[in-house]
Amino acid sequence: MNVKMTLNGEPFSAETPSDGLLVDVLRLNGFTGTKEGCGVGVCGACTVLVSDVPVASCIYLAALAEGQDVWTVEGLTEKDSALLNAFVEKEGMQCGICTPGQVVSAYALGIENPTANEEEIREFMAGNLCRCTGYVTITESVRAYLASK
Amino acid sequence: MLISTPTTVADALFELGNENTLAVGGGTSIALMLKNRLIEPDRLVLLNRVPTLSGVDERSTDTDTVRIGATSTLLQLMHSPLVNSALPMLSFASSRVGNPRVRSVATIGGAIVHGDPRQDLPPVLLALGATAHIVGPSGERDVPLSEFFIGFMESAASEDELVTEVTVPRVQGQRTHYTRFTPGSEDDYPTVGVAIAMTLADDRSVKDVKIALGGVDSTAFLATEAAALLIGNRPTDELIAAAGKSAASRANPSDDQRGSEAYKRAMVDVWTRRTITACLSD
Repeated sequence: MNVKMTLNGEPFSAETPSDGLLVDVLRLNGFTGTKEGCGVGVCGACTVLVSDVPVASCIYLAALAEGQDVWTVEGLTEKDSALLNAFVEKEGMQCGICTPGQVVSAYALGIENPTANEEEIREFMAGNLCRCTGYVTITESVRAYLASK
Repeated sequence: MLISTPTTVADALFELGNENTLAVGGGTSIALMLKNRLIEPDRLVLLNRVPTLSGVDERSTDTDTVRIGATSTLLQLMHSPLVNSALPMLSFASSRVGNPRVRSVATIGGAIVHGDPRQDLPPVLLALGATAHIVGPSGERDVPLSEFFIGFMESAASEDELVTEVTVPRVQGQRTHYTRFTPGSEDDYPTVGVAIAMTLADDRSVKDVKIALGGVDSTAFLATEAAALLIGNRPTDELIAAAGKSAASRANPSDDQRGSEAYKRAMVDVWTRRTITACLSD
């Protein structure tokens, strides 16, 4: 089947099997910033924004994205330079595999609760796993991003 | 596999009349089951373009029932002013499910139709006395959740029917508490989930109570015998202990990575007692 959406602000359409997942549609079409980690919606590496809410693209049927406004790490960091700057300045990354998900989640938190306090930041980011355990600088990056808004 | 994308309930029902067809709310569970080839449907009917199925009827503030559209997401339940004020246990439980990426997609209708006894919403909605509104080719019917979960991942809604709405009674002075006991990781399924809704009379005797358990049988269920021990009485330590024991003997847990059968049964006893106590001290 063909699925049409707005991707990073541009019209986008792609062929996908009817049971295809959004993460595969993105990656097979060159949007490889989005990573597949656990594949079961737990680790957060595949987080993308669908109509302003964060979504685990590894358990999100591509067909559900039809007509929606989808943003990946590529588009969000281009649209909002403060997002990338915060992670660079606070060194909110180590090996990098979880980083796209952390960045998209930070942006999503900025939509849902831009005045989030420390506890709310930790609560919201809790499902984005970093196996390097670099959580201190990741949380600092999110805080710096929200402060810039 | 075919995909249908209806925009009205009538069209959705028409599509559900096809053989081997599944309705999809947020699809978080269905995507996983498809991925693992646990299900092989011939058709999926996506409900995310049926606007009338989504949202909490915030206008129902002065009525005795809260009406929640079946494809309302857990995120919507967390943020609904009405759910927060009238059904705080439901907004709390919604905020504990999975992670933000699951909560923004997973739906209340999906949670009950999927019927996974380990999930949080089934016991919470049972304790709140919720009802599923079901429409199908032969008409509409209301099924109390106490009659809705008929087996492991099996519900009273048949394949050609659709749950369109979940209604939850508002009870004045109701005390509620949901405990999800997760000894492994907080974002895991609970080893035991205990949801209790209780009202007290002026003399602090129990006027009514529903005790619902998740994770410890093939479905979430109401521990009616444990509740009956409390109703009409002022809950003493002995009575609360008896209710805990009763709930534990009604449970039918299985051994898995979240605990042995004996451990889960012991935890039903402990957390039923503690959750009753929490309701009493509100």
